[in-house]
Amino acid sequence: MLALLRRTKSHLLIAAACLLGTSLGGGIAGAEDTAGSYNYSFWGDTVSAPAAYQATELLGGDDLGAGALKEPSDLHVTDDGEIYLLDSGNNRVLVLGPGFKLDRVIDSFERDGKRETFSNPQGLFVTDDKELVVADTGHKRVVRLDREGGLRQVVENPTSEFLAEGFSFSPVRVVVDKAQRMYVMAAGVFDGFMEFSSSGDFTSFIGANRVYFNPMDHLWKMLSTKAQRSQMVMFTPTEYTNLDIDEEGFLYATNGQVTDSVRKLNAQGTDILRREGYFAPEGDIYYTIEDGPARLVDIDVGDSEMYSILDASRGRIFTYNGDGHFMYVFGGIGNQLGEFKNPTAVDRLGEDFLVLDKALGELTVFRTTEYGRTLNEAVRSYYRGDEEQAYEKYRQTIQMNANLEFAYSGIGKALLRQGDYRESMAYFKQSMDQEGYSKSFLLYRKQVLRSHFATIMSVVLALAAGYAIFRKYRKAKGGGKVAAMES
Amino acid sequence: MRQWNREALRYPFYVILHPFNGYWDLKYERSRRLNLILSLAILCLLALTNILQTQYSGFVVNLVYPDSINSLMEIVYVFVPVLFWCVANWSLTTLMDGEGKFRDIFASTCFALAPLVVIHFPWIWLSNVISLQEVPFYRFSTSVALLWSAFLLFVGNMTVHQYSPMKTIGMIILTLVAMGFMAFLCLLFFSLIQQIVSFVSIIYQEIALRG
Repeated sequence: MLALLRRTKSHLLIAAACLLGTSLGGGIAGAEDTAGSYNYSFWGDTVSAPAAYQATELLGGDDLGAGALKEPSDLHVTDDGEIYLLDSGNNRVLVLGPGFKLDRVIDSFERDGKRETFSNPQGLFVTDDKELVVADTGHKRVVRLDREGGLRQVVENPTSEFLAEGFSFSPVRVVVDKAQRMYVMAAGVFDGFMEFSSSGDFTSFIGANRVYFNPMDHLWKMLSTKAQRSQMVMFTPTEYTNLDIDEEGFLYATNGQVTDSVRKLNAQGTDILRREGYFAPEGDIYYTIEDGPARLVDIDVGDSEMYSILDASRGRIFTYNGDGHFMYVFGGIGNQLGEFKNPTAVDRLGEDFLVLDKALGELTVFRTTEYGRTLNEAVRSYYRGDEEQAYEKYRQTIQMNANLEFAYSGIGKALLRQGDYRESMAYFKQSMDQEGYSKSFLLYRKQVLRSHFATIMSVVLALAAGYAIFRKYRKAKGGGKVAAMES
Repeated sequence: MRQWNREALRYPFYVILHPFNGYWDLKYERSRRLNLILSLAILCLLALTNILQTQYSGFVVNLVYPDSINSLMEIVYVFVPVLFWCVANWSLTTLMDGEGKFRDIFASTCFALAPLVVIHFPWIWLSNVISLQEVPFYRFSTSVALLWSAFLLFVGNMTVHQYSPMKTIGMIILTLVAMGFMAFLCLLFFSLIQQIVSFVSIIYQEIALRG
């Protein structure tokens, strides 16, 4: 408890430092000298880190030339930099071109000769062919439009033996994979995501969360009668809160659990997220009981398996690499630039981040600092297998942030590949990576034994000979002493 | 004199390798002074081993938070439990027809800890030249050392008090319970003392400030 308090205190301090940092920084990207972020050491200490991202722009609906936004809820950026913004309260989709210029507004489509609109849509997705998929929550359907805005497909009233009689389909978020299969997160569904074939038929549920329950509740349930039990709340898996899909077709999802709140699902729905970081990739590891754990509301997968999660309760965006190492954090709840009231969606625009605030109806643009760029580049090079470049970039990173422990492991791995085992051992030790250390130690040991084989063998032989001579000498001197010793 | 030293050094090894004969010798044949010196030496070596272990064990077996290393506490962790054990054991066996005197109990307990030193000490250095795949050997050796010590403690207690095996096991369990009681009483005692001290100091403060 005391430890928790201490952590919280240090957290508050950091938060204060963060406030100070952003206010002093003045919103100029590249002001690396402003301390303002944090990271966790292997031992769980909160250590300071330079800011990797800084807020530079705040865009409201009027700035975009589209009138005030009303409870916007989702955001999608295509590979060529077009931004699709779902203005839920106004039932429209804004498409922004380069430089955040309003390109067009999509608020209706033609269906069977009639114009139809959206009703409180909650989620959207854009495929590689620029097809717009909207989870039209109020109309209980998913609408798919082609790049000219013509209707291509409507998915409504799915029927299947898996679905209960009178099932009400209310899609909230949606993604589409490369094979045009659609994954829908629907409200009130506990069995995972709903998977639809390219023709729009419901095929199955995928990736249900595990059921978690309180031991106390379980005890009560065991002690109750059947009649009492039927009155109680059922233990059901938690619902997902958001999802995203990466280039290889893996689903990344967040849910409302305290642990295992981030999942990476393969085609079978199994969780294959690597959790090799010092702590689980689920936001802050320390929190006060009043504030509760992170409430994750969005996840965004970037290139090279990097992904970011958005904690709505503290307004922070945490970014992890593919192994689950915590890279950096930014954001917060507040009234200044770079802080939010009710953040709801995050997405990457190239190197930059866009964060959408539902309550304020504003889009915040975060740009990398030099530190952030270097670290991103290091992780990317390592992912590509470009050891030389990774080594260089990690070196530069630790020059800017000596506290970033997993970077030492990156250097160690590069040195190991280059054959400098002794040096790489030191780096692995620095990042508390026993496996890496052991790997380079084995090679180092082999190298040493091989290069000094002659010396080692001569010493061993000399010692053996010396011992034999010593014994002979003792025996020759007389058995009396030996006999006394053995008595 | 040289002869004597040599033998004194061999004696603990004889005890841990031939516990039944060794403990008999320890109780009836050996000089008290030698037993006491050797016992204290073993305890000191054990404390030293533990200290060196946290500091110098290899990285693959030793992840220790630097701030938590405290050599004084390592010494306390060796001496206090041994003293607790001996006092508890003595208190119980005196009532239960045990033939051991306190010095026998102390010596037998300390000699029983010798395998911990003998096995752990070389592993401090060996653990620096092993990889993760060889760590099971390390874990195995340390477990063997613990089991060996437990066995010696058992045989020592049995021989020193001239108990039957079942009675010894019963006494060991009772001793552990008694140690718990002692720890509880100590805590109670210290917290009471603390209360009294603070009470007196407050009274003094009150008088000094008002007078």
